[in-house]
Amino acid sequence: MTVDSSTAPTVSSVAAASLTKRGHVDVGDGVFRFALNAAAVAVLVILGAIVVLLFKGGFPALKEFGLGFFLSTDWNPVTEHYGAGVMLYGTLITSLIAMVLAFPASLGIALFLTEVAPERLRRPIGTAIQLLAAIPSIIYGMWGFFVVSPLMASTVQPFLTSIFGPIPLIGVLFSGAPVGTGILTAGLILALMIMPFITAMFVEIFTSVPPVLKEAAYGVGATMNEVFRAVTIPYGRTALVGAVMLGLGRALGETMAVTFVIGNANRIAATLYSPGASIASTIANEFPEAGPGSMKLHALLELGFSLFVISFLVLALARALVRNRMEG
Amino acid sequence: MNIELSEMSEQLRQRRAAAVDDGRDAATKISIEALDFFYGDSKALHTIDMKIPEKRVTAMIGPSGCGKSTLLRVLNRMYDLYPGQKAEGRVLLDGEDILSPDVPAAALRRRVGMVFQKPTPFPMSIRDNIAFGIKLGEKVSKSELDDRIEWSLTKAALWNEVKDRLHSSAVGLSGGQQQRLCIARTVAVKPEVVLLDEPTSALDPISTARIEELIDELKSEFTIVIVTHNMQQAARCSDMTGFFLLGKLIEFGPTSDIFTAPKDERTQDYITGRFG
Repeated sequence: MTVDSSTAPTVSSVAAASLTKRGHVDVGDGVFRFALNAAAVAVLVILGAIVVLLFKGGFPALKEFGLGFFLSTDWNPVTEHYGAGVMLYGTLITSLIAMVLAFPASLGIALFLTEVAPERLRRPIGTAIQLLAAIPSIIYGMWGFFVVSPLMASTVQPFLTSIFGPIPLIGVLFSGAPVGTGILTAGLILALMIMPFITAMFVEIFTSVPPVLKEAAYGVGATMNEVFRAVTIPYGRTALVGAVMLGLGRALGETMAVTFVIGNANRIAATLYSPGASIASTIANEFPEAGPGSMKLHALLELGFSLFVISFLVLALARALVRNRMEG
Repeated sequence: MNIELSEMSEQLRQRRAAAVDDGRDAATKISIEALDFFYGDSKALHTIDMKIPEKRVTAMIGPSGCGKSTLLRVLNRMYDLYPGQKAEGRVLLDGEDILSPDVPAAALRRRVGMVFQKPTPFPMSIRDNIAFGIKLGEKVSKSELDDRIEWSLTKAALWNEVKDRLHSSAVGLSGGQQQRLCIARTVAVKPEVVLLDEPTSALDPISTARIEELIDELKSEFTIVIVTHNMQQAARCSDMTGFFLLGKLIEFGPTSDIFTAPKDERTQDYITGRFG
């Protein structure tokens, strides 16, 4: 009893002290929480602002030309008639070529690095690939223009024509004058640019496959090739799709390198050798000449908006694919 | 249900009684002769000599890092996947040296299957998990394949639980079911030897009991080698037991002898729980 009464005040004073201390911590937590909330909200605000301003800026063009804006291949500053058909085509087809070239190459490099390469080669090659990703896109553009395009014109395109030219349907894609700059070269440069990016992600994915899962496949008598196809790739397939789509997103929006090598011509032709234009290259080329309030500026902003929508759709598609495959 | 269970344990008891002929009189399936194993420069196994009897359960026990799992991985050359690991000596499977580079690893692993510590279902349907191994090595018709799948799942005591959802993902099964699926997958390729690397260490007691029953069933058809940390498990389900310590085989003999009258003091210490 006596002990109780003597200790009681001490207990309450300790409690009071800890309460004030806790109150102090609460303030810090509040500030911290506010900062985090602000950072999160800022993302939404910035995204919203970009969407709204792009849409508003481009809306007059949409009102003037209607949905025909996206189909018309006419881009004529003199008659003030603008259509996005060529740029949409150019953007999609160059990105498609880039994916077709980059996907198998990235898969091969990543499998080589994770499964086949001797230990002492892995690091140097892995580092080299990361350095490839660090090269600024304008360097790719210059190299593409001064080195790759002439090479395409003198050697690669005539070679492709000699192989694919005689084949019906496909032959058309590889017909015409081998001028070097054009859709095919742009796609090739894009492929080189996104390859290191996709490869790096593939390597991450493959190294995350549990070794014991691979051993289990080897354990029923699978060979290396069978283990790749049946275990390594299916195990990482959702992430693989995601990586490919992220690469595609990069290819769609890439500006500088494409502007250098795509040829910047407002035309759609069946042949892949033909010069063309992408959304990003057109905006880069024409933005300086678009006066404030002009229809051209509106048309360019509308182009920007459509690029945004395409990228958004690609991401949405990626997610849908990923979800389907997970359930399947 | 209860009747079924008691029947099962009765059967088990009878089989135990009948199986007084433990490994002693059985033919040798795998003969390990003067085996050394290296991880790079460090030696993990020191001159192992062991005769693993056919259609019996051989258990390997010992504290962590004693080399028992390493030895298991030699028996199907799993170490081959990792540069820097090498085995010296001879391991004869039916008289043929499996360490010889002339023996293709994939073919060997079809004869010597393996089940791992953690369940390792492949990221595909239950059916495809089983079909995968079968189709790797043999040309089979659709109906043969279906028969084999049912046969192996029945062997692994899993058929009744999964027969209605063969096409759903194997990853959705419980841990114990996944492990039985892995056993079915191993059995499906009709190996001669089944290696079990601590097959129940990630499972609950009920699943563990089922797997142990299964081991007992499987030994009528397969030679079984099991690595386990659980001494009761070794005592319960094996015919022969080898005790390993620091990369050496200290004692190897019929399980009843090892657990009741070990010859070596270190074995005695280990099984009485004095260390490890």
